[in-house]
Amino acid sequence: MDPQLVVWIVARATGVAAYIALCLSILSGIALRTSVLDFLATNRALRSLHDFMIWVWIPLGVAHAATLLLDKTAQIAPSDLIVPFRVSYAPVAIGLGTLSLDIVVLVTVTSWLRRRMDDRLWRWVHRSSYVAFVTLFFHALLSGTDFSSPLISAISWSTALGIGLLATSRIVFGRLPE
Amino acid sequence: MPSWALKLSAVFITLFTLAGSFGYASAHLKNPNAPLQPPVAGRPAASGSPTASPAPTIGPLLTPRPGQRQPSTTPGPRLTLAPGVQNASLPPLTFTHTS
Repeated sequence: MDPQLVVWIVARATGVAAYIALCLSILSGIALRTSVLDFLATNRALRSLHDFMIWVWIPLGVAHAATLLLDKTAQIAPSDLIVPFRVSYAPVAIGLGTLSLDIVVLVTVTSWLRRRMDDRLWRWVHRSSYVAFVTLFFHALLSGTDFSSPLISAISWSTALGIGLLATSRIVFGRLPE
Repeated sequence: MPSWALKLSAVFITLFTLAGSFGYASAHLKNPNAPLQPPVAGRPAASGSPTASPAPTIGPLLTPRPGQRQPSTTPGPRLTLAPGVQNASLPPLTFTHTS
């Protein structure tokens, strides 16, 4: 098979898998601090899962970005992975993915530095992961080649709906204290 | 549920998604419904008015011998049928050689 085709297939597959892994990470994080799911607040396994999911989505996200860099058709420059809205043929669709990546990296790095940070500042930075998810979802919707597939579309929409419902319930019914 | 079981389930779901997406992408290399269709590198950008491509030509069937004159490529006279002429219900003539 043509190496460019392999790169293209891997980029698509890792994109979908990274989306699912990040959804699981966000779902486990929201579930820990939502009052309607207060029975999960002391669940150490769920907390452990939330911390562990970083090591699942990071390799997939890196593989997605790296393969798109290698893909000649995608025409992504290394600077496009950091600076959003610069790809000429789809500035918004791809730029949202870059923005999401930037925020998620910020959230991850600040999580590792939590003990050295002001708790209030850390919390606000951590909350920006909601923005990261929204931008990621619209990146997938506007640029995902396989998003039109009924199965992948159903999985993506249902996970987004789950996160949306939990986030709404957290706003409406309150957040559990630390 | 123990922590390891939850982690293993999450990894399994992710790997299952990865394998499924890989299979789907391999089976559907080109998706005409994809929202992004990046321009192919090296292809000139589409201009406003289309340019005519040269019409395909058929080369001479016979190669002229040395000293023989190249046959003329000018089109022959067009046949125009008078209104009274009708098509015959006979098979078309495809062989005109007579001995």
